[in-house]
Amino acid sequence: MNVRNVLLLLAACVLIVVMVAACAPEPTPTPKPPAPTAVPTKAPEPTKAPEATKPPAPTTAPPTAAPKVGATWKIGFISAATGAAASLGVPERDVAQIVAAELKASGITGPDGVKHDVQIIIHDDQSSADTVVTLARRLIEQDQVQVLIATTQSGTSQAIVSVVTEAKVPNISMASARSIIEDPATKKMREWIFKPVPENTHSADKQAEYLKAVKVTKVCHLYENSSYGQDTFAAASASFPKSGITIVYSDAYDPKATEFPQLAKAKASGCEAIVIGAIPPASPVMNVAARDALPTIRIIHGHGSCSPDLVKSAGKAAEGTVMPCGKILVADTLADADPAKALNAKLIKAYTDATKQSISTFAGHAYDSLQLAIAALKLLPDGGTLADQRKAVRDALETKMVKFPTTHGLYTLSPTDHLGFDAAEFAFVVVKDGKFVVLPKDQWK
Amino acid sequence: MALLTQSEKKKGISTIQGVALAVVVMVLGLVALGSRYNFGVVDYVQFVVDGLRAGAIYALVALGFVAVYRVTGVINFAQGVFIMLGPMMTISFYEQNWFPSLRLNLFVGALLAIAITAVVGIAIERFTLYPARRALPLTKIIITIGAYLALQGGALLIWGPQGHVMPAFSTLTLADQSFRFGGLLLKAQSLWIWSTVLITLALLGLFFERTRLGKAMRACAVNRQAAQLMGIRVDTMATIAFALAAILGAVGGIVLGPVTRPTYDMGLDLGLKGFVAAIIGGMVNFPMAVLGGLLLGVLENMWAGVTQAGFKDLFAFVVLIVMLLLRPRVLSGPEAEGEH
Repeated sequence: MNVRNVLLLLAACVLIVVMVAACAPEPTPTPKPPAPTAVPTKAPEPTKAPEATKPPAPTTAPPTAAPKVGATWKIGFISAATGAAASLGVPERDVAQIVAAELKASGITGPDGVKHDVQIIIHDDQSSADTVVTLARRLIEQDQVQVLIATTQSGTSQAIVSVVTEAKVPNISMASARSIIEDPATKKMREWIFKPVPENTHSADKQAEYLKAVKVTKVCHLYENSSYGQDTFAAASASFPKSGITIVYSDAYDPKATEFPQLAKAKASGCEAIVIGAIPPASPVMNVAARDALPTIRIIHGHGSCSPDLVKSAGKAAEGTVMPCGKILVADTLADADPAKALNAKLIKAYTDATKQSISTFAGHAYDSLQLAIAALKLLPDGGTLADQRKAVRDALETKMVKFPTTHGLYTLSPTDHLGFDAAEFAFVVVKDGKFVVLPKDQWK
Repeated sequence: MALLTQSEKKKGISTIQGVALAVVVMVLGLVALGSRYNFGVVDYVQFVVDGLRAGAIYALVALGFVAVYRVTGVINFAQGVFIMLGPMMTISFYEQNWFPSLRLNLFVGALLAIAITAVVGIAIERFTLYPARRALPLTKIIITIGAYLALQGGALLIWGPQGHVMPAFSTLTLADQSFRFGGLLLKAQSLWIWSTVLITLALLGLFFERTRLGKAMRACAVNRQAAQLMGIRVDTMATIAFALAAILGAVGGIVLGPVTRPTYDMGLDLGLKGFVAAIIGGMVNFPMAVLGGLLLGVLENMWAGVTQAGFKDLFAFVVLIVMLLLRPRVLSGPEAEGEH
């Protein structure tokens, strides 16, 4: 065999190996609540409520003392109970089961006094974009749901944007990407899609508010080398300058790296605080390294790090770090006057009773989505075609949800904002003795 | 060192001169790049100290490559699997909490992990390479890549895609003890890494110099046919070389575990960097492989320090390509290399 040929083959072989090394897919770090795939030991209710048994009340029936019983409203609920995003999708599904059980007992009453049963049809999309499209179509066409709640991940939520838009069905996503509710090209809200999940821009606004209050003007931004990390950096670059804060040094980091030369540059840049744009398990890694290299510098996390995983992994290095945080995760330390306190306490009790797991922010997103859908259905009068009902639910979601109480605070939705979250609704917390404690504004220093 | 034959010594010196020249040029270039930042001397020393830590691991991995290459003539790309299996299994055993003492848990877990990794190394040689022992070197390389991918896939099934936490040896938490000298930061785990590498090197030296088995392996490396004629079982030596490589990889992975987040795919990067280190050292020379590993670690870390951290891996792989262009025959086995 020709030596030259062999050499060429070898070179190609080495090149492939090198390319594989360069392109090896980064495992997406997911915030991991304890025992992600564990199925709740005691399912609160069978997955599906019984099929509608009561026929729609004829509109001509004479009024009686008992409330009229109308059509059964149907909510389609899809989460990623298995697959890559199972650690997020399982708590979401559990919350849907809890809410379904509650509604089965009570039903809801419309504005016209007609009582409706509510059926929540729960499906698992297996973290797959193909599956979610099939399931969404089935829920829309066969089950004829009034409103859809789907789904756990940004990518899979994106996959059904065109499906629900063409079918004209309101959808509430439980994922975080802005592009789910907003067309990135036109910067306009997508007509049929909503999501109650705060974004990194809100986190950045809250961080900027804190930094300004403590008179820090020069910060370093270190973010994990993932699309999430880049999004935190984009959000900070847009938000910080508005408060007079300069990012004097920024760089991505590989959470699997063994040493972080970035910190020497952070030190040399003279920044007064380090903002870490990452979620566990990547954020505790940088937290520890930064605390080691710069023992006295302020360290600020994003809201994704407000999870017990941060303290568990970073240990003492996490002490004194501050971050914005969804109210659901610090419910017990909120002020009593905060409406989110009682709401979260109720959810957390029901959730821990049913699943024996501690609450996660994803359970909160599912709960908020369901509450929005239910609130919209409560405003829906009996009768009309399915298309009219879906349109009415959409309109109610867009215009009638003002200061709507959720696990993350008060939401005000509008035609220009299908999220309705304000950064002021974030709690701001400090890690103290291994716990997240709300840090009121007068204690920012 | 006695491992060097006369001809190797001559070549070694010229290689050393070449590498030394390249290193001086690179260091000057890196310092020039670094002048854009407000770095002090301490920062450069810190880059070197941190780089020596990664470099020590590359050195261990490189030793595994050299051990297998010298005895069997195969470049074992499955080496990365050993680096990954070490810490992953250690973490799994550690979390079983068999003993009341955390330290004992970690120690026993690590020993078990090293033992099992050695068995995996032997299995790779016996079940994939031995049946193909008469194949071309290229075929064997492809086989080792296949073995690597298969085992990495298995690791993904067992441990999932997420990073795992391995406790630092001193504190048994993720937050390690650190020592400060002026502005310089030294972590306790670095000391563990360096002392482990030194002890391993000493044991390896003793093994090759003082034991019959080690001498037999050296004989195989110098001349396989002659060794066979002397009654040495060359096939057994190949198996032992794989076990040795597996142990070296596992030890490196375990001591490195606490300073990173072990994942199922960590072996690919570390394995390739170890290969680069071995190639810098000429593929057949143990002390040069160690030197290659340390050099690569330091230069790579300085490079990442003075440019963007995202460019870190670029350095090692550019060096790999340059070295392969300079010495392309290295992949065809030691005999082919000796021909020219």
